[in-house]
Amino acid sequence: MSELRELPELVIVCERLRAEIGCDFVGLALQNESGPDVRWHYASGNLNDKYKRITVRFGKGIAGKIISSGSPMMITNFPNSIIGKVTDYPINLAEKLVATYAVPLFFSGIPKGVLLIGKREEYFFAEEEQEKMAESAQALEQLIKEHLF
Amino acid sequence: MDSLKTNPNVCTYIIDSQEEEIKRIAHELHEGVGQNLYSILTGLQFLATGEQDSSKKSYMSEMNLLIEKTIQEIRLLSVELHPPALTTLGLLPAMKSYIRCYTSTFGIIVELESSGEGKLITEKQRIAVFRVCQEALTNIAKYADTAIVKMNFFWKETELKITIRDFGKGFQPEEFQGNEPSSGLAAMKERMLLIGGKCVISSNIGEGTSIEISLPLSN
Repeated sequence: MSELRELPELVIVCERLRAEIGCDFVGLALQNESGPDVRWHYASGNLNDKYKRITVRFGKGIAGKIISSGSPMMITNFPNSIIGKVTDYPINLAEKLVATYAVPLFFSGIPKGVLLIGKREEYFFAEEEQEKMAESAQALEQLIKEHLF
Repeated sequence: MDSLKTNPNVCTYIIDSQEEEIKRIAHELHEGVGQNLYSILTGLQFLATGEQDSSKKSYMSEMNLLIEKTIQEIRLLSVELHPPALTTLGLLPAMKSYIRCYTSTFGIIVELESSGEGKLITEKQRIAVFRVCQEALTNIAKYADTAIVKMNFFWKETELKITIRDFGKGFQPEEFQGNEPSSGLAAMKERMLLIGGKCVISSNIGEGTSIEISLPLSN
């Protein structure tokens, strides 16, 4: 699944989203084809390659919570007002993200991926931006389905 | 009325009690909850083999994955709380196991090297040294802004020395007096003092941070 980052259509969707919202980071995490591990398969605007080594913990951090709950989540001023410990949010720490908004990617009705955008400053993602995220998530679901299944 | 004098042994007692409790919870998670979930998983897999309905089979397979994820998280939580290797195999294997978990959590590579012949140290010393290293690595993930850490164990005849070097942004130690990171650093020093060891932290902005832990070894 590592070649997902080389899928041109996927890169276009993510880059367009980053440009339209004007965010610093876009990341895509997906559950592995076999086994329960969820890993970051694509990132844009990243400061380093730590994301490639991070395995998302189920129920922890923004991506882990989205996979376990299936609902979008926003953090506007990390590390203030977060649930749990700072270390439960490794992607925020690794990429110095202060504001993040993430949505689940559903496959066969089950959340198996996360699309995340982030800014390195305090920010509230407006409704219009949240809608753009939902559209991009849908497009990515379709692309990934075609590519993997 | 005479006030009760502060006894340094109280700190040791509190820490030991906490460690005992942490160990109990970790064991309960791993051997109790984890094992029960594993039994549920194998039961579900057995039921799935006899199921003909493809939609039910697919639903069972999703439940399988969810239980697998939960078992994995329980195991990680248990190892984070108290690695079983610390009691059974010793400090170095426990550290190696923690580092694997640390890299997959934070994406930070820890290059661990050990020189000299490993010596037997008491469980209390093992736990204290492990916790200090754990705190150092957690601080690196939180503040250092680095992707690589070098950790060295030097086993000498009369001393165990551990150095942890990140190559991150560093800090001015005197500027953190009274702030949270400083409390963590003070706790690391105190914890080593309580087992007769030492912890020296040095840092400079732009040059990273270096932590040197030493523990005298009796022959």
